[in-house]
Amino acid sequence: MRKVLVAGIGSTPFGRHGDIAIQSLAIRAADAAIREAGIDRREIGALYLGNFVSGPLTGQEVLAGLVADGLGLAQIPCTKVEGACASGGIAFRHAYLAIASGLCDVALAVGVEKMTHADTATTTAALNCAMDNRSDGVSGLTFPGLFGLAWQVHAERYGTRREQVSAVVTKNKANGLLNPLAQMGATLDNDQIVQSALICDPLRLYDCCPTSDGASALLLVAADRRPDLAAMPVEVLAAAQTRGSARIAGHPDLCTFEATVAAAQAAYAQAGITAQDVDVVELHDCFSIAEIIDGEDLGLMPRGHGAAYAAEGRTRVGGDVPINPSGGLLSKGHPVGATGISQIYETVLQLRGQHPNQVRDAAIGLTHNLGGTGVACSVNILKRLDA
Amino acid sequence: MPDPVLIKALRCAACGRLDPGPRDLCEACHSPDLEPTELPGDGALVSWTTIRRAPTRFKGQAPYVIAVVDLESGLRLTGRIAGDPDRLRLALPLRATGEHDGAYLFTERTT
Ligand SMILES: [Zn+2]
Repeated sequence: MRKVLVAGIGSTPFGRHGDIAIQSLAIRAADAAIREAGIDRREIGALYLGNFVSGPLTGQEVLAGLVADGLGLAQIPCTKVEGACASGGIAFRHAYLAIASGLCDVALAVGVEKMTHADTATTTAALNCAMDNRSDGVSGLTFPGLFGLAWQVHAERYGTRREQVSAVVTKNKANGLLNPLAQMGATLDNDQIVQSALICDPLRLYDCCPTSDGASALLLVAADRRPDLAAMPVEVLAAAQTRGSARIAGHPDLCTFEATVAAAQAAYAQAGITAQDVDVVELHDCFSIAEIIDGEDLGLMPRGHGAAYAAEGRTRVGGDVPINPSGGLLSKGHPVGATGISQIYETVLQLRGQHPNQVRDAAIGLTHNLGGTGVACSVNILKRLDA
Repeated sequence: MPDPVLIKALRCAACGRLDPGPRDLCEACHSPDLEPTELPGDGALVSWTTIRRAPTRFKGQAPYVIAVVDLESGLRLTGRIAGDPDRLRLALPLRATGEHDGAYLFTERTT
């Protein structure tokens, strides 16, 4: 396999982009990534686009081809991939593989979603497409509900307390205040969090990520292109992708996602590192309790200690396990198909030393993107070239 | 308490594996020969949550309580619970007492 670099990054702010077409959001982010890398766009040999629900929510499909056309790319293979909330991470891995395998020297990975124009019930119904709707779906379970179920078990088994989970919300909302791309940074304490509306007990409104519009993009190149790159490149050490059960019945333990555990093991093995070597993490905090479960699944702390790590400040910037300095999904927003790409965008800035909420001397970064009921997972590891 | 209902499930004719269904191939031996069967609806509560913001299809029904239940036959089901959610605790004994659109309704088992 050839060495692959992230050579250019681009992103729209996450939030409301009511008057901008979904393909235009993707084109803006991708054009920025191409220009930053300083590479002729006719050299791009493949495009992978992550998107989840453009059909039901915007009535627009064939996004990969539309975006390539708007960017002025050659007659290259353009592929939309879908893995619910992990769509972006999967798109990244496929662009990585196109280069690592030698099929092409330059590839573009884009993620995009447009959601805020739809009402809550329509959005919830569209997001529920990520569930096995002949199985769990018939009960009326929702994705916040899935994490409400997980929280109850985590609390019972490990003694996880409400105010410990609130520490995740407080941290990520505060991190978002420092990120110009974030949708809703805020200063929030436990009292304000527990006064917000109940969504799915014990999850409250501030425990849930917002719905968002946005796009992010990455231009990947073979490492032998390095001499003529315009921006500081970052090396891809690992790009792992796994599957898990699409049904609750297929999860023997509600407090862990086996797809995350397997993807992390594969990624650490490919990179030749352990969880202790990671300096900065962007993980899939679609709900506050998810950050705690994901951290444990990734081996960032011992099983059952995720809540204590958050409450003790160890996952803040400056702590020993910095998680989601971007603000995460909770604060930056979650335009579903864009999230996995945007996590890598944030991590590249960290490894360049250019992040607005910089982890000092970050040399190795990890991203984690989880889809559906843990049916798809992407874990990627990136490294600063001089580290 | 209300009368019990049986749980519709699938049993693999080749190896006997049970599955809540729907499923096309046996998860254990990959046989396509899955036969409908009915199982007792007694089990224990694994976890629960009250859904207060429902998707379009269930909009008029919120709030409602979702439960994950482990049946005594070993199957795990996602269903609903009737009654007061404040009484719920992990491992609470439950019994299936109704079914609506493929989802089972469970009630606290007192006998
Ligand atoms: Zn079988």
